Amino acid sequence: MTEHVHAVHPEPDMVQLLTPEGQRVEHPDYPLQITDDEIAALYRDLVLVRRIDTEAIALQRQGELGLWASLLGQEAAQIGAGRALRTQDMAFPSYREHGVAWCRGVDPLVLLGLFRGTNLGGFSPYDHNFNLYTIVIGAQALHATGYAMGVMRDGAVGTGDAERDTAVLAFFGDGASSQGDVNEAFVWSAAGNLPIVFFCQNNQWAISEPVTTQSRVPLYRRAAGFGFPGVRVDGNDVLASLAVTRKALDDARNAQGPMLIEAFTYRMNPHTTSDDPTRYRLADETETWKLKDPIARVKAYLTRQAAVSHDFFDDVERESQALAEHIRVGCRALPNPTPESVFDDVFCDMPDELREQRDEFVAFVGSIEEVTA
Amino acid sequence: MSEEPKTPVTMAKALNDGLRKAMEADAKVVIMGEDVGKLGGVFRITDGLQKDFGEHRVIDTPLAESGIIGTAVGLAIRGYRPVCEIQFDGFVFPGFDQIVSQVAKIHTRSAGLVKMPITIRIPFGGGIGAVEHHSESPESYFAHAPGLKIVSCSNPSDAFWMIQQAIASDDPVIFFEPKRRYWAKGAVEDAPTPLHTSRVVRPGSDLTIAAYGPMVTTVLEAASVAADEGHDLEVIDLRTLSPLDMPTILDSVRKTGRLIVVHEAWRNVSISSEIAARVQEKAFYSLEAPILRVTGYDTQYPPSRIEEEWLPNVDRILDAVDHSLSF
Amino acid sequence: MADIKQFKLPDVGEGLTEADILTWHVAVGDVVEVNQILIEVETAKAAVELPSPHAGLVIALHVAAGETVDVGTPIISIDAAPGATVRDSPAADAAVAAPPARQPVLVGYGPRTETTARRRSRTETVTPSAHAAFNVPPPDVESVDAPPVHHAPAHRVLAKPPVRMLAKSLGIDLGTVAPTGPNGTVSREDVAYAANGGAPGAPAAARGVRETRIPIKGVRKHMAAAMVSSAFTAPHVTEFITIDVSATMQLRDRVAARREFRDVKVSPLLFVAKAVLMAAKRTPEINGTWDDQAGEIVLKHYVNLGIAAATDRGLIVPNIKDADAMSLLELGQAIAELTATARSGKTLPADMTGGTITITNVGVFGVDTGTPILNPGEAGIVAFGAVRRMPWVVTAADGSETIEPRWVTQLAVSFDHRLVDGQQGSQFLSDVAAVLTDPGLALL
Repeated sequence: MTEHVHAVHPEPDMVQLLTPEGQRVEHPDYPLQITDDEIAALYRDLVLVRRIDTEAIALQRQGELGLWASLLGQEAAQIGAGRALRTQDMAFPSYREHGVAWCRGVDPLVLLGLFRGTNLGGFSPYDHNFNLYTIVIGAQALHATGYAMGVMRDGAVGTGDAERDTAVLAFFGDGASSQGDVNEAFVWSAAGNLPIVFFCQNNQWAISEPVTTQSRVPLYRRAAGFGFPGVRVDGNDVLASLAVTRKALDDARNAQGPMLIEAFTYRMNPHTTSDDPTRYRLADETETWKLKDPIARVKAYLTRQAAVSHDFFDDVERESQALAEHIRVGCRALPNPTPESVFDDVFCDMPDELREQRDEFVAFVGSIEEVTA
Repeated sequence: MSEEPKTPVTMAKALNDGLRKAMEADAKVVIMGEDVGKLGGVFRITDGLQKDFGEHRVIDTPLAESGIIGTAVGLAIRGYRPVCEIQFDGFVFPGFDQIVSQVAKIHTRSAGLVKMPITIRIPFGGGIGAVEHHSESPESYFAHAPGLKIVSCSNPSDAFWMIQQAIASDDPVIFFEPKRRYWAKGAVEDAPTPLHTSRVVRPGSDLTIAAYGPMVTTVLEAASVAADEGHDLEVIDLRTLSPLDMPTILDSVRKTGRLIVVHEAWRNVSISSEIAARVQEKAFYSLEAPILRVTGYDTQYPPSRIEEEWLPNVDRILDAVDHSLSF
Repeated sequence: MADIKQFKLPDVGEGLTEADILTWHVAVGDVVEVNQILIEVETAKAAVELPSPHAGLVIALHVAAGETVDVGTPIISIDAAPGATVRDSPAADAAVAAPPARQPVLVGYGPRTETTARRRSRTETVTPSAHAAFNVPPPDVESVDAPPVHHAPAHRVLAKPPVRMLAKSLGIDLGTVAPTGPNGTVSREDVAYAANGGAPGAPAAARGVRETRIPIKGVRKHMAAAMVSSAFTAPHVTEFITIDVSATMQLRDRVAARREFRDVKVSPLLFVAKAVLMAAKRTPEINGTWDDQAGEIVLKHYVNLGIAAATDRGLIVPNIKDADAMSLLELGQAIAELTATARSGKTLPADMTGGTITITNVGVFGVDTGTPILNPGEAGIVAFGAVRRMPWVVTAADGSETIEPRWVTQLAVSFDHRLVDGQQGSQFLSDVAAVLTDPGLALL
């Protein structure tokens, strides 16, 4: 097994506003006005999102989910980006952005249905301006691009009206940056000067393939080849992620065109719950990244600043327990879909032949006394 | 403002008029594809539309079929009604994943909450003396997928009306245009027929022949020759390939007892395979003869110099008629 | 009251159906919380910690460190409501539903490993039947711009393809057959009934009924047309010969006793057929046809030998293809099969076309001879009469004559005088006669 040392050394050109030790630092391009209360709120987001992830893994181990794609280690990248979005902005996730879903107000139980096998998505993109999870790698980059084309044609770019100007945030990973669709999205966005921000979570691994398999250059520099700016942020730094994404989205809203943000982070857990990372990476790599934990640094900052009350961390922990219970109970109660539903949502206008098949299927399922679950 | 044409027009003009009407009727309709704007399309189907509706609504896209379809998905999510043009049948495949993995699935994935009112126009078929990849008939790949609707016009009147109906449909429609018939002329009827219905274009009593797209003209020619030989053929223009209009097909087969299906597409696992399966299931007791198929052979499309014999033609169709009647 | 929960070993997401127990992290009597690590198990690849789905008091550990345990085996019991006083219904509460053993994959639960080689019980039978073929879909009432309602137009007769074929082979128009099959279809029995003249047997004429009228249809109709066409197109000449076939009859006995002929009926007809085949070689015109349309006489270099057969429905003439290439044994088998098929009414149309020369065995009726009518398109037909014991003049080697009882039969050949002249017809007949009189001549 080849050694992967790139993930261990500190990276140059990386925007960082909060060090792993919890020290606030400044960056000339990304001034951040933020209060301690707001940072505390981000801490709460981070803890609760990590708890969702932990519970989901346990549920999978208990046979309640078929699989789970863990975001352990990537919480800061996602909360920072998610909290930078305005209500009217639209986010296009892949399938690991549970932290962004949290920020958009999507109930975590709704996400579980896809992994449990009770639905194929389970929510309306219009409810929270958060698109359904897209499993085909990179496909959503084009959907986001098309959506941005629509935003432009609606005249919702560069008006100066903060409530109206709209940006699109497209998420994908380091592996996806090799896909044709992602590159085509870059082409179209640049050519059209579209109001879109591409947020690439480079968590160093695409299942078993390190990012060096995908690209010879750091991913943020790819944008230059297409004609728009790219920036790398410390993906484990929620403040940097927030500041950079906020600026990028504002620029997009103001008709400055697309931007690529590479959130440099690490996939602490396996690709999904049935993956075995011991086959392709060394444990000490994970150990090194533990030292850069996104939540620990925020806690350290808040503690050092005496920015929160004694009870604050306990309150968050209590809230996390309640959320966990909600998820455990709710997951087990998720209902199986009805037989008709398989047919009812194929078309807006159901053809006769399909209706006949549906009736046949419904009758068949109804005639079996012990349906296979 | 355009009016419905009364004098015979070419299919290309009929499509142009239909697209224009659709653009006028709904401001959310946008046309997108390679060379559709300034050039007006390599077949001039979108001629003049960018001038009248602007670059925002008639979009010259980058050369990327996956991009055309994928961005259409995004536009649809945003509430638009995109009409994509794929320049030639053989070039749809880079966009195949977005079509079958996204366009076909999103309505289901979203439990009916997101619509994909996308029309994908594809000039298809051979007989134009073209080089490789420009004479394909890939309709079967798409008809196989749930979530897509597939239609094909055979004449200018259907072209004019069906393109508007396809655009108005909230379901995704793949619209196959027979490019060898783009310059054929015909009068446009005053009113449309429902989109997903087949039409008996020549009533008859001895045998039913079903065809679609470019082959409808060829089959009608064969029927005329057959009439001289004393055989009265009933010709059906299928128009809708998925869903199929089985009642029209079955009524005809129950009347004549014999069926032949004709298309340029390869024989193996084709639209005719599906029709034969369904007809023998539903009209088993009515069949005087086995269902026959006159199709392209299961080879790559030939070099254009010998395409006329490879494609179904009047002789091959009449041989099948004779064969069917011999039972 | 006590609320005992059992935790069964789940699939651990590493693609296995069993695991080794490594270390318990809890003991009986411990109070555990949800998701507290209970146990470490070893899979083929790594150690996996299992979190508890329940909070409560550990009542029992069911497996020990070092054991190998199948997925689905209970490993621990936890009382979720400890401190209960009443001991009533024992443990078995709804245990944590352990999932069925499945091989997990990267993207989901994985395939099921249990087999379902049985039919599950059903509440009602929902099997489509043949009657579904007659369903006409109801009109689509919801669609506003639906076309006018499709009523199935008056359709032509309904019949399965094999029934259609049977009708065709018998020359029956399905449209005239009364259908008694399900849903108005014509059945095989309907066709057979119609072929019998619409009656199971000839009705006994009651006294006082002066006439019985039988519709002219089916086989009879076709046969009549064929005969008329033949009789009034080809000028028929019939020649006769009476021969002593004793030698053939003795040969017949010897051949029938042979092992290879054990299962074949070795009748005199078989030898007549062989003689006809041999003679036709010498007089090819008798095996030809007069093609008026093309203006040609066609001499055929093969013999498709027709054997006239009487069936319930009338006379049919199936033929044996390429009879001239067959051995005696093959010919015997072919004749037997042809006869059996004809008797059971299953002769195919293809068997009745393409004949080149025919034999009609009037002898089975005890009749001596006749003036047979040519099968249309053929140039010769041989009538083979009854084989009788008759007085015959036998000349000894020294020239003296005696009268002896011999096996005697009459042969007649009618030929198409347009292409077979008298000399040829006579030659053919005498050649047949010669072989049957002295079978040894076949060696020449």
